[in-house]
Amino acid sequence: MVLGVQEEESKSTIYVPDIAKIRRIKQISPIEKVFRIVLDDEEKQNNFKFKPGQFVELTIFGLGEAPFSIMSNPDNHEFFELCIRNVGSVSGALHRMEEGAKVGIRGPFGNGYFPYDKMKNHNVLLIAGGLGLAPLMSLIKYILNYREDYKEIMIIYGAVNPESILFKNDIQYWSNRKDISICISVDNPDDKWTGEIGVCTKLIPRVNFPPEDTYAVVCGPPVMYKYVVYELEKKKFKPENIYLSLERRMECGVGKCNHCHIGNKLACIDGPVFSLWEINNLKEAI
Amino acid sequence: MLYKVLDKGVYRDFVKALISEYEFIGPKKKDRSVHDFVPIKDISELDTNYIRTTIPAAKKILFPPNERLVTYEIGKKIEVKPVIESGEKILFGINAWDINGMNFLDRFFTTDFIDENYISKRKKLIVIGMDSEPTETNFSPSMGAEYAKDGFDIYLTELKDKYFIRIATARGNEILEKYTKFNDAIAEDFKEYNKYMDNYRMKFKMSVDIKSFYDNFELIYGNQEFWKRVAKNCYSCGSCNLVCPTCFCFNVRDDIELNLKDGNKTREWDSCMIPEYGLVAGGHNFRPDKENRLKQRYRCRLKTFIDKFGKYACVGCGRCIEACLAKINIAEDINSVKKEVSV
Repeated sequence: MVLGVQEEESKSTIYVPDIAKIRRIKQISPIEKVFRIVLDDEEKQNNFKFKPGQFVELTIFGLGEAPFSIMSNPDNHEFFELCIRNVGSVSGALHRMEEGAKVGIRGPFGNGYFPYDKMKNHNVLLIAGGLGLAPLMSLIKYILNYREDYKEIMIIYGAVNPESILFKNDIQYWSNRKDISICISVDNPDDKWTGEIGVCTKLIPRVNFPPEDTYAVVCGPPVMYKYVVYELEKKKFKPENIYLSLERRMECGVGKCNHCHIGNKLACIDGPVFSLWEINNLKEAI
Repeated sequence: MLYKVLDKGVYRDFVKALISEYEFIGPKKKDRSVHDFVPIKDISELDTNYIRTTIPAAKKILFPPNERLVTYEIGKKIEVKPVIESGEKILFGINAWDINGMNFLDRFFTTDFIDENYISKRKKLIVIGMDSEPTETNFSPSMGAEYAKDGFDIYLTELKDKYFIRIATARGNEILEKYTKFNDAIAEDFKEYNKYMDNYRMKFKMSVDIKSFYDNFELIYGNQEFWKRVAKNCYSCGSCNLVCPTCFCFNVRDDIELNLKDGNKTREWDSCMIPEYGLVAGGHNFRPDKENRLKQRYRCRLKTFIDKFGKYACVGCGRCIEACLAKINIAEDINSVKKEVSV
């Protein structure tokens, strides 16, 4: 022990993760898995309440920590789920883990989330590119929990190829429902693909929701936003009704390490979901 | 604030008593031009007549370059414990701008979320301030930082045959009462002190027009030519961050012992000037160009926190100007904005 350093038993700090267990792992694409996670402390798990668009910091002990958006139903307090692509060091290690393994969780974090309350009594247009569908999943699930509170719901989803389409079961379920519509476009179709081809932004002109009565939420790779925003503005959507989830390096999650700064804001505490109005004032956000 | 005076004859005994009673950190001569704040065991090591320190004293103690945040033990269960340092220390001889830098960090680490690792150390840090001679690159009067209004327990100002003392906390008062004898400051003392401060302020040779920088920042923001020129020689080395009393960016790394059981999370200083700073998984970098990184640093130091909580994240100490290998001069750059926008 370093001189003068005391390890206090009772005190927790903003950097101390809670221990959690990976209860279930489901491979949903060649590079993406869904991890169902339960906090070991039952009381903490029951009180683990999050809003669509929020994220957690996940620790793999001995390796490191990384932020991941929560994709499960916000009304479910028994567990939460993260859809993770095998792309970095933490996500790569997670993909090598098995059910029952222990991880650390801090969060949920983010004061900027999808404004599910404001959207009530309006149409909602959800636009997702690739893995960007994951953070939107918890919003879609929330909206479906309270479907009668919302007007028309439409999902536009772009994927690289049919194999990389995520959440196929959910998509099947939505397609069978009359009260939600979904359009999928792939960049590289295979022989069996009969749907739309090309980037998902080209589906936006076909949306016929009245812009003054519609909220648009967007999540996808950084490169996609400019094009989506361009199409939405052409349709006269108001900047304050367009919400985008921004990806940044949210390393601490609590507004201290500063890696996720965008202008005067921090993605981790001011976002990660921002309205286009806010983003336009942040300059280099998208 | 209490205003007292301490006779020069009792000063040495007062400091000696503090050194023997407390973990005492003060300035010690390192080489011809640089002092460093280190633990002092004997008054002969202490040299408060310093001009230059490389690493800001308060930051070194409260937000050290490497700091263990959490330890854990991986067994059948994983036991995680926070590491909270709680030893009382005296920081002696810190100057006004470094106290103001610490005041910024105090505010920063308690905004939105409380950083226990920082603040538990801060609460136990007894701060005894003293003026030091400014370097040629110091522009702290322009930043309102050459005088400390708060953040210290005791501030000693050396007058002709006494020390003028400002006492800001009960803790400071207690220490003075316990270890020395002091008197109330009378009108003559205040007069002498004011004269001293007037002279002291004259010693700062550099000044910046910070208001015009702030007012014109949005105007200059999109002028890539300007920022390219400013950052032209930047090596992206991060020296400016390392010596800054208010820089707070950090990485957290997970380390595990060879037994694969005992591990810890350690934070280490990071730098917004190095290219990897804005990198996310998948390889996208949000700030790949050095001119954008330097622009972001200037914004963070000189705009963001004025907008957020009314404080500049720059105290004008001038360390980054001295540390910069490429001779990038924040003071000149601040002053050049007015000219740039007027043409």
